[in-house]
Amino acid sequence: MSLYLWFALMVITSFAWIIWFLYRPLKSNKINLESSNIALGKQKLLELEQDLHQNLIDEKQFNQAKEEVSTTLAIELQQVSNIQNNASNNTWVLILILVLLPVMSIGVYQYLTPESNMSQPLESAEKPLSLEQSANKIVQYLQTNKNDSEAWKMLGLTYFELGKLDLSIDAYEKSYQINPKDPRLLVEYASMMISATSDNQFSDQSVKLIKQALKIEPNAPDALYLAGMFAVSQRDFVLTKGLWQRALSALPEGSIDRAVLVNALSELKTVEESKNTPEHSVSVRVDVSDKILKSRSSEDFIMIYVKAAKGRPMPIAIKKIKLKDFTGQMILTDQDSVIQNNQLSTHEQVIAVVRISATGSAMRGVGDIQVLSKAINVANNPSIHLKVK
Amino acid sequence: MLIEIGHFALVLALIFALLQVVLPTIGIIKHDVVLSGLSRPLLWMQFFWILIAFAILMNAFVMDDFSVKYVASNSNTNLPSIFKMSAVWGAHEGSLLLWALILATWSVAVSVFSRRLPAEVLNYILIILGLISIGFLLFLLLTSNPFERLDIVLVQGRELNPLLQDFGLIIHPPMLYMGYVGMAVPFAFVLSSLIRGQLDSTWLRWSRPWTLIAWAFLTLGIILGSWWAYYELGWGGWWFWDPVENASFMPWLVATALVHSLSVSEKRGAFKHWTVLLAISGFSLSLLGTFLVRSGILTSVHSFAADPAKGLFILIFLVIVIGGSLALYAWRASLMQSSNTFSLLSRESGLLINNILLVTAMLSVFLGTLYPLLLDALGLGKISVGAPYFGAVFVPIMIPAVLVMVIVSFLRWKKDTTRRLTGLLKWVWVGVGLLFVISALLTDNISVLLAIFLFIWIVAHSLVLLFQRLNQKGSMSLAFIGMICAHIGIAVFLLGATVTSQYGVERDIKMDIDKPITIAGYDFIFKGVTRLSGQNYQGNKGHIEVYFEDEKIADLRPEKRQYVTGMPMTEAAIDPSLYRDIYIALGESLEDDSWSLRIYYKPLIRWIWLGGLLIALGALLATFDRRYRLRVKG
Repeated sequence: MSLYLWFALMVITSFAWIIWFLYRPLKSNKINLESSNIALGKQKLLELEQDLHQNLIDEKQFNQAKEEVSTTLAIELQQVSNIQNNASNNTWVLILILVLLPVMSIGVYQYLTPESNMSQPLESAEKPLSLEQSANKIVQYLQTNKNDSEAWKMLGLTYFELGKLDLSIDAYEKSYQINPKDPRLLVEYASMMISATSDNQFSDQSVKLIKQALKIEPNAPDALYLAGMFAVSQRDFVLTKGLWQRALSALPEGSIDRAVLVNALSELKTVEESKNTPEHSVSVRVDVSDKILKSRSSEDFIMIYVKAAKGRPMPIAIKKIKLKDFTGQMILTDQDSVIQNNQLSTHEQVIAVVRISATGSAMRGVGDIQVLSKAINVANNPSIHLKVK
Repeated sequence: MLIEIGHFALVLALIFALLQVVLPTIGIIKHDVVLSGLSRPLLWMQFFWILIAFAILMNAFVMDDFSVKYVASNSNTNLPSIFKMSAVWGAHEGSLLLWALILATWSVAVSVFSRRLPAEVLNYILIILGLISIGFLLFLLLTSNPFERLDIVLVQGRELNPLLQDFGLIIHPPMLYMGYVGMAVPFAFVLSSLIRGQLDSTWLRWSRPWTLIAWAFLTLGIILGSWWAYYELGWGGWWFWDPVENASFMPWLVATALVHSLSVSEKRGAFKHWTVLLAISGFSLSLLGTFLVRSGILTSVHSFAADPAKGLFILIFLVIVIGGSLALYAWRASLMQSSNTFSLLSRESGLLINNILLVTAMLSVFLGTLYPLLLDALGLGKISVGAPYFGAVFVPIMIPAVLVMVIVSFLRWKKDTTRRLTGLLKWVWVGVGLLFVISALLTDNISVLLAIFLFIWIVAHSLVLLFQRLNQKGSMSLAFIGMICAHIGIAVFLLGATVTSQYGVERDIKMDIDKPITIAGYDFIFKGVTRLSGQNYQGNKGHIEVYFEDEKIADLRPEKRQYVTGMPMTEAAIDPSLYRDIYIALGESLEDDSWSLRIYYKPLIRWIWLGGLLIALGALLATFDRRYRLRVKG
């Protein structure tokens, strides 16, 4: 049944309702103002007697109050008009309503509803729009609503479904420019970028988006999943496992995503088992003298890193923390490696460096304090002790 | 298509509201009983179409119809079904629709249950209610259409404010609206009397039960809001003197004055001017509250609409309602002359003093709420008016009001003497004095001592009154029991509010696993935090064991949730009891598995809401008093 047939049915129902009560009026309770006020006046007198009985009024005041009730009733009865009511022929009402009800209801409805909306429900109810039509509609909408981030996102998704990848990324970029703080958009945009490459490569931009999403919502499962995928691409399975387990704990029981993640984790386990490369670590305990502590701000940074005993002085693995948060010990592992292809475990001998810096910059600056260890063998998983005096 | 039917149903409701005003008015002018009698059927149809519109909107939420802007903005597929339903009134447009539905419900209730009211009076009342309904339906259709379609259909909606995803939202707004909108009924009774030029016993008698019900709902709405804020906002507070809270408190104070003023007017024919003005201001303050909340003037969890157009509409409506009714009052003022006299010491005077104190208290809240807004609007700077102001101004006004409240019940109508009164109550006062001295040995806190004194004062007087009446055969009535109940409710509330604010303990602490911490005599042991996953949120759930005198009394599990929109929420864990609450809110993760937590010890806090419930119960009991079942023969 079309919309206007429904409207007609509603108007007819309304009309029938009025007609029914116009010709079969509701029975009146036959109470008029006069009888109501008399009954209430009598009750007031009874209540007054009850008040006297309960000692809530004395005899003299009772008599005066009684008179006041009678006087009030007399005034009230005087005010009542005695005009007789009648029931006249109301055919004019019938005609008026017959004309006005449909005209007014449809007129007001049309006045309140934009033309586009009037046709939209019928269209959408009868035939869903094709993807191409949807994209055109969204583009049309965006001409007047340029700052609707959701609409740009939808356009990006629609273009992606249509296989128009460049247009899809453009639309996502616009959505991102408008609303760069929506973690869902960031993840969706990143996955769109990854899907757009021929072999699902992570670009710098997609990694940046994932990191940004995790910064806003550290436990967003989809962002953690993508971050895990990136870690897989870097062959960092420990990190992958950690990220996916976090994602798993964030997902509700019974969700499809959860099942996918459980599968992925079991595959990861198989890969990990086949990986025989031993992992090494260097534990560095640092004592900072009170004198140094007093001379530095608690906001200064303490950096602990290892560099190759021979060769380039670039840090291999590094950890940086504010002085106020430092607990006295740090362990450097492959996960702290600066470059993925230059992992701590692949080095035979390294030198540990402790630096206290106001800026936390990678380069040694003026006023920075630095202490170095002797060359140490990585294969022994050494634990060393350095003093900063 | 269903959405368009819902929208059209609202249009039809507006037309029926118009007809409800126009046809019976013509009928009254032409003395035609058929036309004037149409007010009831037209109202019922108006109610029917609003109900249809409401049901369709609720269905759109349940079915996740994100083609509707309002649904897409306030719900998503992950939202639990129960909150999808309550999300209907979770934001501006839907709550306005609920408002219109409740107004129609009140009107239908008046049309059905006012069998003892002369038809001519009822018709006038329904015309006034129809006029108010027109205002709200126009507001809905012109500025706040809940059925507005989106040009593009979203595959997923946004999130309902997580603060509102709570049982409190399901019941607090409908209850409060029942109170707010309920104030339209005594207003309609007054206006119909002013228009008819007959400020008679009929109006006074039959408007009182409706005022009592509205007052009961307003009380329930306010205490539910307070309870919700307590357990949901995670601050452990129960009242913040927030302007939106004040907006509901002001009509409550006026409604309190009105139920008492009406009792004098209907029994003794006095204070008619006062009663009329209270009825007008009660509903006007309800509208003012709506204006403050909906206009975007106030920023709080309640402010759904920051739209000046909406604010302007309500402001105009407010001006028409207040201006129109006051003009009508001025025109008919001469009809309210009364020759009924009473002396300075009488029940009438006592109730009048109490009324004046209540209205003064309301004005102090009014000033504290609107003054900062006014200064801001005039560019004279921003000031914050909070608890210190209300503590210094509102509380001192209410203390004499509470003292007088129970004395009035012992006073005689028209005239009494201090000799009789002191003779009657001297032993009560001696008893109150003795009990107060004993309690003074237990504490030296002045505020608590004052609260204890007022508590004993109210309870002692109420019980003495009760025993007096029990000894008088046939003098008990539901109205009387209701009054005792409500007055004791005030006492319970007072003591609870004072003790919890004076003796409550609040601690922001860092807790390490298995290291006990003692607060207010209770030992708290933090057992750690586990991950938490809900339908539309994730988070952490803490576990704290609570011991008292080495005996474990509770395992509390406060939550910190992160909703899919990214909004964080604190779900406090509470160990409730009638004499104290232990309240824990989870803070942030710190180093080494330690967490920051907020622990509150809240003595007698439940008494606040228990007091409120007693007040509401008292009002409901009084509503069903036999006086309102009087049979009037035609």
